[in-house]
Amino acid sequence: MLSKARSNLPNATGDLSTDEVAAFPNWTVFTQKKEGAIHLHAGSLGAPNADFAQMFAREHYGQDQPCSSLWIGPREIFTANDGVQETYEVFVQWVAGGRHEHVGVVEAENGADAKTKCVGQFIGDKEYHTIWSAPNSILTKIESATNMIWRKTTDQNYRLAKGYSRVVRQKWDAIRAGAAVDKYQEEDLKDTF
Amino acid sequence: MSASANVEVNIKDCANADPEKLAVFEQHVAEGGLVEPNDWMPEAYRTLMLRMAEHHANSEIVGALPEGEWITRAPSLLRKLALTAKVQDEVGHGQMLYEVAQDLGKTRNAMLRDLITGVTKYHNCFNYPCPTWGDICMIAWLIDGAAILNQGTLAHGSFGPYIRTMRRINMEEAFHFKHGEDMVLTLMSGTDKQKQLAQDAFDRWWDPSLAFFGPNDRPDERERPAMRWRMKTATNNELRQKFVNRFAPAAMATGLVINVCKKDASGMVISKEPDPLLKLNEETGNWDFTQPDWDEFFRVIRGDGPCNKDRLALRRFSYEQGEWVRRAILDGATTAPSDH
Repeated sequence: MLSKARSNLPNATGDLSTDEVAAFPNWTVFTQKKEGAIHLHAGSLGAPNADFAQMFAREHYGQDQPCSSLWIGPREIFTANDGVQETYEVFVQWVAGGRHEHVGVVEAENGADAKTKCVGQFIGDKEYHTIWSAPNSILTKIESATNMIWRKTTDQNYRLAKGYSRVVRQKWDAIRAGAAVDKYQEEDLKDTF
Repeated sequence: MSASANVEVNIKDCANADPEKLAVFEQHVAEGGLVEPNDWMPEAYRTLMLRMAEHHANSEIVGALPEGEWITRAPSLLRKLALTAKVQDEVGHGQMLYEVAQDLGKTRNAMLRDLITGVTKYHNCFNYPCPTWGDICMIAWLIDGAAILNQGTLAHGSFGPYIRTMRRINMEEAFHFKHGEDMVLTLMSGTDKQKQLAQDAFDRWWDPSLAFFGPNDRPDERERPAMRWRMKTATNNELRQKFVNRFAPAAMATGLVINVCKKDASGMVISKEPDPLLKLNEETGNWDFTQPDWDEFFRVIRGDGPCNKDRLALRRFSYEQGEWVRRAILDGATTAPSDH
């Protein structure tokens, strides 16, 4: 049943000559589901450059549920302590295993300073696990108001579990009703003959 | 569809681990604490977790191959859209899981290569054929259903990045599963030909679905590192029983018959009989069932399955064919092709 192109593949074995993936940096992605909601750490991805990272993030983290904003940055900037004087977005992971969430913005000299200021301005005495910071100038922000992420102009229910709930229930009902009729007829026949 | 983390790792002891740190670590995990990549962990934990995540990632990538084959032949535009979205999800799961594994010390490049050269394995169920659209329906219903059961328990594990990934994956698997259920119900409320298509595919996939959860439990299953350190929170047999309890009555309600099948070398059914053991056991409250063919399972894992060679050949082919694209991006272009 495989298409010809797929069923006549060269039967190569052994090591691979290609090694480019080793040069792909990692990127960290934050998503915001609704306007006004906080940005939450969605995950990471590997991509050769910032443009591809944005495209992958849009497809991978922006299409599985409604998404109003995506922030993408090279992974190392979030944990870095160096940097220059500028505005930093700061993110807190409150407990081990939790997702980093955006808590606000600080003006800071570098990454370490941003993290210290984050504690002062947003955490105080509360317990937390880790802090990430990202210089605004390096972070890419995609906002759906100007650059659509979730394709809300067409029906996207086919890619959501809830898009099937009603039709699945109807089909189960119909199958059960059918079985009930079969059972009724079976007994009907038994009595008759 | 994604895979269980039944990776065989024998770690005899943690002789190299600092006993004080190990004691603190074990207590933290036993009390429900979570572990992050930069926390101290025994090397054995790191190794086992890395292999679990890598095996899971490999399975997502290879699992997308048989389904991708059917996108162009989906029976309607809706099914085509949904199957495309599912395949995209699966490959994305692979991406996320490779990142989890990467943090534990193996590069993504090495993992992608090891999959293709056969150094590492992927989930066994993807070594079986998908000759009809019915197989696509059954994979989405049974295999994704099995994956949700398994991953639901993995989401209560101890490694932070892995459980975050599981939660996200499970949300997407819910769509795959619901779509699969819709497709199976569509076939089973259709014509005789559609019902036959579904039954034939069900016969091919029931056994791999039972085997999905991995071999039978060993007596010391709960003392082994995977469970002691809460990477797994349910045993293979517990999950298998849960699966049968849920899916056997559902399959029968749709009109499907649960058969014990003999297959030829290409994975096609050559003879079958209704499962003689299948019934609800009043005493235990569980469904009794015939075990999958474990000899076949181990044979296929060792590489002698119907599709092992095809899957890896296709994976290698697409990886090699993509080389020039990756080189072009890295060598020259600083920007991606524009949308317009």
